[in-house]
Amino acid sequence: MTENKKSRSITRRQALGAMAGTAAVLGTPALIRPAKAADPIKIGVLSPVTGAWTVYGQAHSRGFELAVEEINAAGGVLGRPIEMILADYQTDQRLVVEQANRLLRQEKVDLLAGTFSSADRNAAGPVVKAADKILLYPTWYEGQIKDYYPGVCNPNIFMFGPEPTQQVWPFMEYMVSNHGKKFYMIGSDYAWPRVTNLFTKEKLQELGGEVVAEVYIPFNTPQYESVLRDIREKKPDIIFHSLTGSDTVNFAQQFHAAGMSKDFTYWTVDDEEVVTSGLGPEVSAGHFVSFDYFMTISHPNNKAFLERYKAKYGPDALMNTVGVGMYNAAHMGALAIAKAGKVETAAIREGLKELTFDKAPQGPVKMRGLDNQIVVPSYLMKVRAGWTSVNDMFEEVQSVPSVEPKDARCDLPL
Amino acid sequence: MTLEAHSAANDAHHAPLRARLIHGEDLAAIVLFLALAIVPLVISGYVVYILPQYMLLGLLAMSLAILWGYGGIVSFGQAAFFAIGAYSIGLVMKYASLPVNPAYIGILLGTTGAGLAALVIGYFLFSAGVRSTYFVVATLALSIIVEQTVKSFSNITGGWNGLYVDRMTVSLGSLYELSLFDDMPMYYTVLLVVFVVYVVTVAVMRSPFGKIVIGVRENEDRMLALGFNVPAYKTLLFGLSGLLAGVAGAFYATHANFAHPSNAGVLFSTQVVIWVAVGGRRSLIGAFAGAIIVASLSNYLSSIKAIQNYWPLLQGLIFIAAIILFREGLAGLVESLFQKQKHASAP
Amino acid sequence: MDTLISVITDTVLITLVLALAAFGLAIIYGLIGVINMGHGAMLTLGAYFTWSLTRHGMPFVASVLLSASAVGTVGLVFEHLIIRHFYNRPFDTLLLTWAFFLVATEVIKIVFGTDFRNVARPIEGAIDIGIYRIPAYRTIVGGLSILLILSTAFILYKTSLGIKIRAMVQNREMAGLLGLNVAFMYKCVFGFGSFIAGLAGGLIAPMYSVDPYMGNTFLVRSFFVVIVGGIGQVLAGTLFGSFTIGGLETVLALFSDQVIAQIAVFFIAVVLLRFRPQGVFTGR
Repeated sequence: MTENKKSRSITRRQALGAMAGTAAVLGTPALIRPAKAADPIKIGVLSPVTGAWTVYGQAHSRGFELAVEEINAAGGVLGRPIEMILADYQTDQRLVVEQANRLLRQEKVDLLAGTFSSADRNAAGPVVKAADKILLYPTWYEGQIKDYYPGVCNPNIFMFGPEPTQQVWPFMEYMVSNHGKKFYMIGSDYAWPRVTNLFTKEKLQELGGEVVAEVYIPFNTPQYESVLRDIREKKPDIIFHSLTGSDTVNFAQQFHAAGMSKDFTYWTVDDEEVVTSGLGPEVSAGHFVSFDYFMTISHPNNKAFLERYKAKYGPDALMNTVGVGMYNAAHMGALAIAKAGKVETAAIREGLKELTFDKAPQGPVKMRGLDNQIVVPSYLMKVRAGWTSVNDMFEEVQSVPSVEPKDARCDLPL
Repeated sequence: MTLEAHSAANDAHHAPLRARLIHGEDLAAIVLFLALAIVPLVISGYVVYILPQYMLLGLLAMSLAILWGYGGIVSFGQAAFFAIGAYSIGLVMKYASLPVNPAYIGILLGTTGAGLAALVIGYFLFSAGVRSTYFVVATLALSIIVEQTVKSFSNITGGWNGLYVDRMTVSLGSLYELSLFDDMPMYYTVLLVVFVVYVVTVAVMRSPFGKIVIGVRENEDRMLALGFNVPAYKTLLFGLSGLLAGVAGAFYATHANFAHPSNAGVLFSTQVVIWVAVGGRRSLIGAFAGAIIVASLSNYLSSIKAIQNYWPLLQGLIFIAAIILFREGLAGLVESLFQKQKHASAP
Repeated sequence: MDTLISVITDTVLITLVLALAAFGLAIIYGLIGVINMGHGAMLTLGAYFTWSLTRHGMPFVASVLLSASAVGTVGLVFEHLIIRHFYNRPFDTLLLTWAFFLVATEVIKIVFGTDFRNVARPIEGAIDIGIYRIPAYRTIVGGLSILLILSTAFILYKTSLGIKIRAMVQNREMAGLLGLNVAFMYKCVFGFGSFIAGLAGGLIAPMYSVDPYMGNTFLVRSFFVVIVGGIGQVLAGTLFGSFTIGGLETVLALFSDQVIAQIAVFFIAVVLLRFRPQGVFTGR
């Protein structure tokens, strides 16, 4: 029968192809490796291009890409261009381990940058420890505690995003005096919200406030009726919010639909441009948000930065604190290598310590040598009513040009 | 030919080939394991690092293959047992101070824990005659329950931030100690473990136990009528499958230095189903190879910028093809290749 | 007392929204025995189509209906091309519908992008009960849910098509022998179930974050609703199952934290799965 014949030839080809495929995969590194070492300085970037957090992946990788372009346009580092090698870990921590190793061992990159969430970074921790290579981490996070070594408190990992004492503490007094002392804390159930709440509580109690409730929600919870009821009963002044992902949107929407927006102040440490875009102007109006960077901050560095960014990616392109974290990481990494004079881990580490970067979009930043934590400005913004795009989304309420964070809870100095 | 008739013909086609398939399988297994043994001597670098992980994923795929291919029971929850193995070794190595090598305890705990959990759940569901289609949904719930539980006890497990796991050491009392920190010793240790587990599993599935399980898959009512305690066999099979997944998880955690709730989740569980569908559910070596091939391919393709965004879609389409057209997966394709050669050489 | 009223209204609304989300699955699983693992993806598709249409200015109601029809069509095409060859192999339909989910989700990401989307609520405002305010839109969706279930009940029990479908469910072979066009009715059921899933997706879109995985949140819950309610008990079963799953979670969350409540509900659902009789459907 003709059908059988057809399937037979496909079968043979397919089977041979499968076997050849395995051989090819195993043999690929041997085939592709060039004979002599390449000229560029290679930086491996781990980004969630696909998978659950693909929404964040774009700004994340673009921030780094733009910086690399700028560095190369200015002549590179030590006379060599920077080559960015992007690896998609599909928002899967198992693949962070896989791709980090591939970048280091197969692509032979000189250092790593990226990962997005703390879980991703913690997966990469052991890898950079074993390979003795540096990881530049861009995202706002919960701070460093020894227990989570080697994902934190790792001399090779440098944090370019703010931690709670930078993101929350500077504005506690303002919020408490202007909006009330009773906090209702709601967050996703994992380390970042818990530790953030811990620090917030500490400061709050100093100011004479109180936490009326602390609620942790498992990921992917669609219905918030019981929480909303609890909020009404406990009558807080401020809803302090650290949910992540789609839960953030679900909660905010239901909160607003229940007409509660006008009765409570809503302060979030999670809703940057990506999430607030998802909320829409109705639901997000009046929310307080605090980060080290917003697209609408008026620092002159930012204007210049956004001009270049939009020239490359379009007038509607979105940027956020994480993208800027990557941008700063790239530039500071390059500066550190230049300072060190060679591409070698210990030297770059030294180069990064106490390094300042004046051109950072949010204003000058400094990498603290004591615990590898960036010292950044901090901004408290309010979501503008009726915003139309990321370009007019936030208006400034308060800002601090530089916030020295609390010492990391590691064996210091790193 | 309609799709239905094509598949039915396919299935009938393979029943009498069992004898040939077994010999073919052994040959393929020998070739594959020999190749795996030689790889580190020929290639160095990343491949030597990553292959043990893929071999362990192959073991995980095997755990589903014995359930699905031999027993006709689909499970969307193998990752739950994998995670039990991973967290057992991680937690023991982190918190316990023992006179004996903590890794051994961790592996033992993870393996038996996973196996026991599977036995209990299997007994609970099969003894009530829960039909296989409902069973699938229960395994889905299992993945979610394990993932949530691990996430919740975050002060012990690290929750969503994950758990760091050291590389284990292989030790013989205080006489001999080999750290598996370097690629080569780790590679060969994992290869040895995987090989032994493979051989044992094949032996079990070719024993009378395996034959009865196949009988249950073919015609459950007839087996019941013949007096076999069908629920007991299903339960034991599920227990074995949990055990295998637990072993895979334990070694995986110490290899990757990391255990994470996503190791237990639905997405990972369903990934295992794809591996087995592509590799071949009725062939243990097929499922094993399927995991290695798909994982390698995924690794390679996700680094190519042009394809990155489309690879998950492609995987979905390959999966559909594997269910409709290539029901026996790659193993089936290879098998028909050899079968044709045999026909060609016959007078 | 106020708390009690609030708990009751919350439970009712949760039950009805869950029932709406699960209904498409109940229809397909209950009537033709296909475990539609792609149900979540159909919900998501309905939400995205609605988003796309409302963004281009189409009124909400029209958008939702058109989206539902589109999803129904997609379901029909999928049934015709692939599923109808595998009705007597429940595992394969399960896997194929799962493959549908994989492919559909990726296509959604490619076509619609991966950003969080939102659909504006067509009706703002809330209804006051005592000191509590219940969102108006949510209440309307709850009402629509009941309406939908009642309409389907009417179709199944009072129309000739419905009688034929029920006959087919009872005994497929007999129905075929008696001259009923079984293949056609399977198509009707699968298409209708997909339509309902798309409709649910469009209706709930204003209440949730529209992202490529939004349907999945409801997938497992929908399965439990159907299993607890009883396969084949499409109407009363869906309501009862939704009440159990949704209501239980609400009540448990009163006494412990959300995470424990969720684990407990899934755990109880698995236990119920074991003890619950097999439902109307046999022999598949």
